[in-house]
Amino acid sequence: MAPPVMMSRISEDLSAITGAEHVRITDEIVVTEPADANSVAEIIRYALQRRLSVGIRGGGTKLGWVRGETPQIYLSLSKLNRLLEHPWQDLTCTVQSGCQWEALQNALAGHGQFVALDPLFPERATVGGILATNDSGPMRQRYGSLRDLVIGMTLVLADGTIAKSGGKVVKNVAGYDLCKLMTGSYGTLAIITEATFRLHPVPQHARSFSITAKDANCLAPLVAAIRSSHLLTQSLQVRRKASECYLDVCLNAHPFAKQDEILSRLVRNHGLEMREVSEEVWKARESLFLGDATVTRIATLPVEVCQCVDNLHAMSAAVEIESVSQSIGLHDVALRGPRDEVVPLVQKLRTIAASSDFTVSVIQPGVVEGIAAYEISTPVLSLMQAVKRQFDPNNILNPGRLFACA
Amino acid sequence: MSVQPISKILSELRNIVGERGLITAANQLQTYECDGLTAFRVPPAAVVLPETTEQVQGVLRICHRERIPFVGRGSGTGLSGGALPSENSIVIGLSRMNRILNIDLPNHQITVQPGVINANVTAAVEPNGYFYAPDPSSQTVCSIGGNIAENAGGAHCLKYGFTVTHVLAMTVVLPDGQIVKLGGKTLDTPGYDLAGVFIGSEGTLGIATETTLRIMRKPEAVQVILAAFDSISAAAQSVSDVIASGQLPAAMEIMDRLSIEAAEISVHPNYPACDALLLIELDGPGVEVDLQMAIVIEICKQNGAWETRLAVDEHARFLVWKGRKAAFAAAGRLSPNYIVQDGVIPRTALPAVLEKLNAMAAAEQLRVTNVFHAGDGNLHPIVLYDRNHPGEEERAINLSLRILDVCVEAGGSITGEHGVGREKQCSMSYMYSDPDLATMQRVRRAFDPLNLANPEKIFPTPRLCGERPRGHYVPHPVEASGIAEVF
Repeated sequence: MAPPVMMSRISEDLSAITGAEHVRITDEIVVTEPADANSVAEIIRYALQRRLSVGIRGGGTKLGWVRGETPQIYLSLSKLNRLLEHPWQDLTCTVQSGCQWEALQNALAGHGQFVALDPLFPERATVGGILATNDSGPMRQRYGSLRDLVIGMTLVLADGTIAKSGGKVVKNVAGYDLCKLMTGSYGTLAIITEATFRLHPVPQHARSFSITAKDANCLAPLVAAIRSSHLLTQSLQVRRKASECYLDVCLNAHPFAKQDEILSRLVRNHGLEMREVSEEVWKARESLFLGDATVTRIATLPVEVCQCVDNLHAMSAAVEIESVSQSIGLHDVALRGPRDEVVPLVQKLRTIAASSDFTVSVIQPGVVEGIAAYEISTPVLSLMQAVKRQFDPNNILNPGRLFACA
Repeated sequence: MSVQPISKILSELRNIVGERGLITAANQLQTYECDGLTAFRVPPAAVVLPETTEQVQGVLRICHRERIPFVGRGSGTGLSGGALPSENSIVIGLSRMNRILNIDLPNHQITVQPGVINANVTAAVEPNGYFYAPDPSSQTVCSIGGNIAENAGGAHCLKYGFTVTHVLAMTVVLPDGQIVKLGGKTLDTPGYDLAGVFIGSEGTLGIATETTLRIMRKPEAVQVILAAFDSISAAAQSVSDVIASGQLPAAMEIMDRLSIEAAEISVHPNYPACDALLLIELDGPGVEVDLQMAIVIEICKQNGAWETRLAVDEHARFLVWKGRKAAFAAAGRLSPNYIVQDGVIPRTALPAVLEKLNAMAAAEQLRVTNVFHAGDGNLHPIVLYDRNHPGEEERAINLSLRILDVCVEAGGSITGEHGVGREKQCSMSYMYSDPDLATMQRVRRAFDPLNLANPEKIFPTPRLCGERPRGHYVPHPVEASGIAEVF
């Protein structure tokens, strides 16, 4: 955080670049909201010259995630919020990164299309923030993650250079695919100002079902059967809180294919019952992040999902554990309890992870402030640090997020 | 770089890969002097054929110490000169690393070495009802390592995505000999998506020696339809209409009259004789495929298809695809030499671009035949020529590169799946501005600060393209292949 005198100086300088109406001071940090990519570039050049750290923000829904140092300037992209282009016959769109996710989807829906991703907090989260954090929801089972959906980007680099990567066609292997590098880089390499997505037709026949069980292991054979079946499963998740455990299935097939009946038979053959539910179940992840919960993201192999859920819930009596797990092997797990119970639990998880194939990331620190969000070991860490040095040698963009700079 | 450093390290290389793993005889080196783009040839200084990750590491350590450039090579089927050796380079041929290491059906994964042939991945899991989705036309001979380098696609990537969509984890030997694991068998490994940027980097960031791929459940039902049209535009309109109807076929391909005839002569797929053949594959639950196929047929008829023929059984489908995938090789029946291009355009620009392209071919008095992945706008114009006619090869190369300019002007890309390699380096500065290219170089410097991994590829260099962005300047092939230089 900058001292007050410096803060007002920064505020004045930024006002000179963007106009005073685009600069304010909130919570003792200067926030600037440029309205175009050129202003973003100018702000970055200014910050570089003065060696000021810049925190990049979109809708602010995940600012607490993978926290780094408190920056001296917040650069908000909220005014870069327009859908620039939607050539619907080409199934693509180009949008500014400050556009709210739901606003984008509503605009695309006019032609029955959407970006096939269901991220957290779509009514507030922005395109850029979702890209920077590589958020993805249950629909990933069917459509893949952002890396499969984003085909082009405009970037402002840490020296103010404006560069493009990729393009506006889905198939394109010309040069390095920087879009993949930027996706999930938490704004530590460059600022995304525009993104181009490939689109899909909005699913016409999606129906959701829920199956109740006493624990996840009871569901494991059914999950395996669904995964190896021909069912057009759009999403498949296991939710567990204390002794309440559910399997949610979203099918997206033409009614004539009668896949609901096939699923129903499969469920009954496993001695279980299913009922149709509203699509609200696919927003279950959001409640994990409420309050001061510590939220970890655990990645396991797909076949280990149910076992992992039950093991987690048996780990601590003093910590309230709530999990939403995608059958592809991604678990979001909320841990609620006193710090001196949650910290050892996270450490224990990491010890187990170190000796097996899975990873444990602390995406929302909650009460465990100070524990590293990610554990990345050398030599791949050195390679990532080398990439960071090439893109941001003075470490001004979101410093300390993801990893410390060597 | 020292002038002739190779000879003094030959015994070291031999110690690593053994006598059988080292090639230095001039006649044997000839095999490695080009890939599928035969117009460009440079003999390497030596070829090593390692069998393990550690051997690759040993070789790269020596290259790093001696500052010797190296070029990875799979089956050598690439069409853009990606595996073309640099002068005084060592080619690292990975064809002996051809083992399937692990099949994990419950997790839908398979782990393979880079020399494994693409089609053999599917063959290994097919009896269990799975397949590996990326299917470049050369899939019966091309290797997974080469697919990773080029981010290979294929007819079915319209629905299923490219190589990058299906690679989960890689063991990579970096240009300094360090071994790193990129990605993981579980999703979203912490930190930057380095696997995402490595795939498609055309061997310029290191060498992948082990890869875990995602395999998929084979669809319940598959149907292929052949629709015959009197014009490419009518076929292209059908493609747009199918997309607009909200369906996502597994593949949509168009062939023109010349390529139909060539395919007919070479593998007899029994295609209808027409000016434009549209081939659409649908897959999914049987009932759903039936419903969608009815819609597709209706769309084709509305756009003037005078024959729609369903390939009903597996054998009929096999023949249909065999004809399509033989299209490049079949061009050899039409002309002694040919160049396959790989431009991409927004689907909707297809009719306008084709018209322009035909006019350009006519002006050059060259024949161009067209086969394309119409669903994703990936054109494969095949420029036919005869090397023995003075000046014709130069005109053909020139035309094929100008076609790429047209693709860029239409809002597309110079390459959809073949890569930039040596062939399209100078076109890169037509597609990207200098800052865009400089940004990519930052990645390269992080991985390969000494610029040893497949140098002189992808990026335009002053030597090849002149100091200024290319515009319409095209290097003479003699110059481009490194035999002569422009001063």
